[in-house]
Amino acid sequence: MSLHGWFIALARSPLGHAMQTSQWGFAVVEMVHLLGLALLGGSVLIVDLRLLGVILKGDLAITISRSLNRLLLGSLTVMVLSGIALLSEEAGKCYYSPAFRCKMALLAAAVVFHFTLHRQALVRAQSGKPALWSRIAAVVSLLLWLGVGIAGRAIGLL
Amino acid sequence: MPFLQHFCEMLYQSSFGTMLRESNNAFSVIESVHVLSITLLVGTIAVLDLRMLGLILRSVSVSSLARSVLPLSWSGFAVSVTSGFLLFWAEAAKMYVNPSFRTKLVLLVLAGFNALVFHATIYRRAQEWEQQHISPWRARVTAIASLMLWGGVIIAGRAIAYF
Repeated sequence: MSLHGWFIALARSPLGHAMQTSQWGFAVVEMVHLLGLALLGGSVLIVDLRLLGVILKGDLAITISRSLNRLLLGSLTVMVLSGIALLSEEAGKCYYSPAFRCKMALLAAAVVFHFTLHRQALVRAQSGKPALWSRIAAVVSLLLWLGVGIAGRAIGLL
Repeated sequence: MPFLQHFCEMLYQSSFGTMLRESNNAFSVIESVHVLSITLLVGTIAVLDLRMLGLILRSVSVSSLARSVLPLSWSGFAVSVTSGFLLFWAEAAKMYVNPSFRTKLVLLVLAGFNALVFHATIYRRAQEWEQQHISPWRARVTAIASLMLWGGVIIAGRAIAYF
């Protein structure tokens, strides 16, 4: 099945049907999506500002990251699941939306970056003044996640 | 007509309010800034609340986390209040009668009051308990109240568009 076929199947699934017909379904799932965003945004920001050397300089970046990782991945999971439900409401339309495509590309980049180079930067970061590459990793991570948020907001507008 | 309603009508009909309301992009851009600044505000407050509940960052003392996080929360607050006021300006007459908007304002006041009480009481003696993995019950109660109230602000805020 083509990618477009999967989107149509999602729209025609029981989930899609429920989202399209219920009066408050979309609104409630949107609220869950936003609550997840606040938690994801908070945890990403704290880790990246530590990596930048702006806050919590008394603790190693990897310690901060380990402690926040569950919150970060937990809220990301909530956002992905609620996002799939939101998508099912108008999957056919989203497939062609440039904002949606952009968001998915940025999300994929952000997640891959999080588990690879960003993780390397956290492991290698020592106490004291952050090295150039850890600051670059922090800025790239912040920009990628911010991009996901902005592209996401644009889906409803474009 | 009550004074507040009159004031809202005046804002709504002002040339700036009308311009914002009828603009193609300005309103959406301000709305996006509003959402992102709320993420900054609520996300950073939630991190502090979860720390007091002993769920994250146990190795960091509460006051050192608060010192790192609160300037971010205040920046988020300043931007979200400013952008929120502009959004309100554009839709003031409708907001006056919107039940979600009223709920959001009440929750905001309660969240502010909760933070004020926390800072004026338990947090003053933070050096006595800040190293503990889980904070004393009164700090945990304010943390739970804060999470619920700020979550409520987001929910009520999103619901404004549905009324």
